[in-house]
Amino acid sequence: MRTITFLPSYRKIDVDLGTTILDAAQRAGLNINVVCGGQGKCGKCIVYVQSGKTEFDRQKHSRFFTEEELVKGACLACATRMLGDLLVFIPESTLIQEQKILIEGLETEIELHPSVRKYYVELEPPTLTNPSPDLSRLLWGIQKSGGPVAEKMYAPLEMLREIPAMLRHSDWKVTGTIALVPGGYRLIDLQENDTSKRLYGAAIDLGSTTVVVYLWDLVAGNVVGIASNYNKQISCGEDILARVNFARKNGLSKLQALAAESINTALTTASDTAGIDRDDIYEVVVAGNTVMTHMLLGIDPAYIIAEPYVPVVRRALSVAAKRLGIACNPNGGVFAFPAVSDFIGGDIIADILSCGMSEREEVSLLIDIGTNFEVVLGNREWMFSCAGAAGPALEGGEVLFGMRANPGAIDKITIDPETLKPVFSTINGIKPRGMTGSGLIDLLAELLVTCVIDRNGRINTGINNPRIRKATHFSEFVVVWAQDTGIGKDIVITENDIKNLIMSKASVHAACVTLMKEAGQSRHDIATIYFAGAFGNYLNIKNATTIGLIPEIPYDHIKNIGNGAVTGANIALINRRKRKTLDEIALKIAYIELNAEPAFMDEYTSSTFLPHTDLSLFPQVQKMLDACRLLRG
Amino acid sequence: MGFDLRFGWTGPIGGVTLGATRSEGGTRRVSYRIGGGSTLPFLDSNSSFSSPLIAFEICDNPVFWPPIVRNYCGDLVNNVEDWAKTADSTYGADMIRLYLTSTRQRNFSDIPAVGKAVEAVLSATSLPLIIEGSNEPKIDSEVFQRCGEVAQGERLLLGTAEANRYRSIAAAALAYNHSLIAQSPIDVNLAKQLNILLREIGVLRDHIVIDPYTGTLGYGFEYSYSAMERIRFSALKGDTDLAMPMICSPADTLTIKEVREAESAVQDEMAATWEFYTGLAAAVAGAEIICVRHPETVGKLRLAFTSMKNGTGSAQVR
Amino acid sequence: MALKALDIYKLLPKKNCKECGDPTCLTFAMKLAGGKADVDLCPYLDDQAKAVLGATTRPPIRRVRIGVGERSFEIGEEFVLYRHEKTFFHQPGILFEVSDTQSPDEITSITKRVKDESFTRVGTDLMFSGIAVRNRSNATDSFAAAVGIVENVADLPLVLISANTAALSAALVHCGTYRPLIHAATKGNFKEMCALAKQHGCPLVIKAHQLDELAQLAKDCSAEGVQDFVMDLSPASLYEFIASSTGIRQLAITRTAPDLGYPVYLDATAGGMQDAWIALGIVKYASVIVTAPLSRASAKAALTLRQNVYTDPQKPIQMNPGLYRVGTPGKDAPVLMTVNFSLTFFTLEGYLESARIPCFMLIVDTEGLSVLTAVAAGKLNETLVLDAIRRFDVENEVSHKKLIIPGYAAPLSGRIEEATGWKVMVGPRDAAEIGDFLNEEWKR
Repeated sequence: MRTITFLPSYRKIDVDLGTTILDAAQRAGLNINVVCGGQGKCGKCIVYVQSGKTEFDRQKHSRFFTEEELVKGACLACATRMLGDLLVFIPESTLIQEQKILIEGLETEIELHPSVRKYYVELEPPTLTNPSPDLSRLLWGIQKSGGPVAEKMYAPLEMLREIPAMLRHSDWKVTGTIALVPGGYRLIDLQENDTSKRLYGAAIDLGSTTVVVYLWDLVAGNVVGIASNYNKQISCGEDILARVNFARKNGLSKLQALAAESINTALTTASDTAGIDRDDIYEVVVAGNTVMTHMLLGIDPAYIIAEPYVPVVRRALSVAAKRLGIACNPNGGVFAFPAVSDFIGGDIIADILSCGMSEREEVSLLIDIGTNFEVVLGNREWMFSCAGAAGPALEGGEVLFGMRANPGAIDKITIDPETLKPVFSTINGIKPRGMTGSGLIDLLAELLVTCVIDRNGRINTGINNPRIRKATHFSEFVVVWAQDTGIGKDIVITENDIKNLIMSKASVHAACVTLMKEAGQSRHDIATIYFAGAFGNYLNIKNATTIGLIPEIPYDHIKNIGNGAVTGANIALINRRKRKTLDEIALKIAYIELNAEPAFMDEYTSSTFLPHTDLSLFPQVQKMLDACRLLRG
Repeated sequence: MGFDLRFGWTGPIGGVTLGATRSEGGTRRVSYRIGGGSTLPFLDSNSSFSSPLIAFEICDNPVFWPPIVRNYCGDLVNNVEDWAKTADSTYGADMIRLYLTSTRQRNFSDIPAVGKAVEAVLSATSLPLIIEGSNEPKIDSEVFQRCGEVAQGERLLLGTAEANRYRSIAAAALAYNHSLIAQSPIDVNLAKQLNILLREIGVLRDHIVIDPYTGTLGYGFEYSYSAMERIRFSALKGDTDLAMPMICSPADTLTIKEVREAESAVQDEMAATWEFYTGLAAAVAGAEIICVRHPETVGKLRLAFTSMKNGTGSAQVR
Repeated sequence: MALKALDIYKLLPKKNCKECGDPTCLTFAMKLAGGKADVDLCPYLDDQAKAVLGATTRPPIRRVRIGVGERSFEIGEEFVLYRHEKTFFHQPGILFEVSDTQSPDEITSITKRVKDESFTRVGTDLMFSGIAVRNRSNATDSFAAAVGIVENVADLPLVLISANTAALSAALVHCGTYRPLIHAATKGNFKEMCALAKQHGCPLVIKAHQLDELAQLAKDCSAEGVQDFVMDLSPASLYEFIASSTGIRQLAITRTAPDLGYPVYLDATAGGMQDAWIALGIVKYASVIVTAPLSRASAKAALTLRQNVYTDPQKPIQMNPGLYRVGTPGKDAPVLMTVNFSLTFFTLEGYLESARIPCFMLIVDTEGLSVLTAVAAGKLNETLVLDAIRRFDVENEVSHKKLIIPGYAAPLSGRIEEATGWKVMVGPRDAAEIGDFLNEEWKR
């Protein structure tokens, strides 16, 4: 064993010789940014070895570092092995940074009707004249206290083993916990005396980046704690594909354990804040995307992400918590939302549940945007869905100064039509370092309505303004001058960035229209558009319409539902009747494979224009553009 | 016919005038009004509709030209004036399309030469002209300005605007009242987008000819064919942003393997046949200017177009 | 007009019984709308719904088979006026004409040519479809003899062209069981012609000069018990052909005139403009085209146009992924990566050949998508490129690690470099500029 000391935190850990610095850092609890899953490809996990012997692949390194940097000890944590005690400096930029996390859900009044309940009973001890068995006696008592009918309840063997002693030891005063599971009503716990007020459940959004937990008091019917943290799988690869690859190589068990651990960390934080015992959490409801759900359940996701994208099951699953390593009551259950396809997972079903579109007559359009996007169109009778790669541009990727919603990211912009001077806000209010997806959408819309760019996204270099200039490869617009930034250089948007953004927004819009055409619905038939996903709450709806990210309908009919996944999980946790509809929703959704849909490419090309080739589909935007053209002449 | 044939068309194709006679302010012996159709190509009941125009393509630097044409035309290719004259009087073309291939030499900067080449062709033939400018954004502006200027009043058709570079050519067309070719890569939506971009900087619809890009027969021609059909269809359904006449220029036809590797005895026939099939099918799909490079194609197309005209009246002399 | 999935869904029982093999009525409706399932799979449809759905799925133009065996071909069963709306399904048969006034040697040699001549294009063998025998002599014996000669040479689909029923009858003794197309029934002779067609089970050309006469003739012949018709309007000019053929197609597919719902026959032998007749026949809905034997140039062009126009616009032709050589490239030759869309491949290959720079083309599997589309759909990505480099052992074929990628794939350049470790050079967007690019960028 050798010791690695990490600077600047001075965190130490003992590891075997030959361990990579990345592994050691992860074990020390440091979240290093590894986009490629530790394959030495992304060059993000830069650390500086200040002393000690290491071994590394010179060729791999030469792609990322100059000789001078190598001399300074720069190396990739994933591709560098320790050959002795080390002192390693981890720059802040290498660590995964704190993000703004959404924990607000939709305001919905839902009846409290959980699928797990506690019953306190005081039983008559058996006598020679009343010799009925312990179990019958207990179940009858539960029935009399308002529980389900005794014949419909059962107890598993492990409970049977506990019952006799427990009843007698407690002087026949016990609290039984009954859960509605696929096999019927199951006795999952028995405690001495009255603990019936101590019944909690957790609703969880298991995202690929973050895990959000809502802890509910299932007796009082209120939230007692909220917590969130990073999905620890990030250390095995930032995006889903990298993690599936990781699973393929290193086995699924690590990812399964990390998923459970991520949930447990949040669960612990929430229960600690609320001051409750985790053993009193009897149910955990998880809404996650298809791959996340597969990984949590320890099911190989390799098959669902390849053609023909068939899920293992298309219905919800209930599993004992202990089998997944979830740190709630060991006999508690985990309920996982159903998945429809590789992209339409439990998170989307949860979105549908939370916006209520599957219960209404009128037609709604639901759009969930992340790196991928999912679209659902329908009503209580029918639903079509599709999904696609939006490309990372809408999340700030593949754009020169794009970034995630970290401190210093510009998330809102307006541009003065006369001076072209942008007015913006940043996350945490610090000096700007880059732009988030919502900031970029604002910027694109503003550049369009100020006629800085044409509808093809080309910058009009004929405008005489210092912010518009020709760089080596592309023309660009200067958003923030170097001296006003937190990075010391001009923050710009280039024509190439704009092209990427247009391609991304075109995919989303084309997907919406493809579904609408399939269902024979025009934009006038759509009563409401719901935006879900982390992006949702920060998105400027008007600007999203202006650039043609979504079909134009009246702005007040477009709603952000924020994190629909956690809201849906909340609903399913506190109301089992709603939960029962999930399988129906999953079954009802017809999935359309966009790659196989010839009409999609057509829609895509007509959407690669601002806001769209057919301006009559965007009457409000048309008015705006007419007005701005007058201004510019 | 006894049957009611309905397509439900709502909008006609807009017209574009090419060339200007003396009375119209130019020096051409003829001017053409293309477009104006109100149903599928060749189905207009009005027999006064003119046949598609056949444009013969020449260039001012034959290094960039298919060897088969260089062989066939011989020394002509080294002299744009003679070449243009022959295309007019001997080959029987309706228009001459001059490619300023000289501008494609690296670091080309001899802008005055461009003007001279255009002037030379203007004086060698009195047919309306299509002038194809540079391939290089850096010199676009000067080249187009010069072409536009020396041919002021002649109502040229200038080529070629693309979505990524349309401002210079549009500026020249606007300044000197020429029309322009708007080329997009084989897609109805992209064709429409470019027309919108041009409209939004002030180019009028009746100054735009759509080039949906013609793939060679056997090398993606079907995509071009369908793109043209779709453009025509959308126009007839009332989309004014697509209601412009189209030009077909199967420029790569004479360099494909089938033509290049044909036995020398049949090489010219192969070339002309290939151009003919492409041009004829494109005309049926809606192209109203068919560009060719092989002299033998001109007559073949002319004969077919005559038989495709509505009514019994034989070919009308324009 | 084709029904949308949701319209069909409304006619279905909405039981989600799964008996059709689909999980829900909606997914079944989607298949019906796409023509990928049969209405009869649903056991709970009432007759009215079946009638509505059946009417929209039955082809508006009858399918007719000509000939038997390997070289037989089907025509008709078309649904659209424009190929981009769906596709054109059955390409026209192009048949070379022989006359019974020609010598047996001539007839034999033309027949042999149709039997054997073939061009290979994008992996498909293109051939002419059969022989049309014209009874120019108007004599019975010589016609039967000519048909006999053709039959002796090859089992090809035939068209028997004669106004003389006795001659046709005699010829049908030779070939009646091979489903030749009989040309032609007219207002004057349709009863006898129908009797022949019925007796031998052959398809029949019906001929008239006006659409309404043609429709009436189709009705009359149906009454005689014949169903498989091909329609000949004998157009006097190319204009007449375009007008009548377009009219027939439009009236048939809109089901305005069901009696015109048959394939169209075109005689392209009219002197002087054979190429024009054939080209127009191919693009404007002719299903049987009879022509004099074509020159090699015309033959190639005609078959290529037919292949182009009858390519399914929704299913691009694909190349096999692999490392292709242009010329004889050495170890230092450039490697150009592109997609396996056949058009992209051939276009690039063409320009590379004319640029005369030996090189490698690394074709990656984008399932036939073009570069732009594959980039947009995420099909073309760094993993695909890396896999291809490994699979086709590119590192051992060349002594450098430089990869030229298409201009439209520029957004991927960074990630490809990262994934493969190869230096990526972004090539031009237009394949036409590849020669200049190689001369300027590569040779530098």
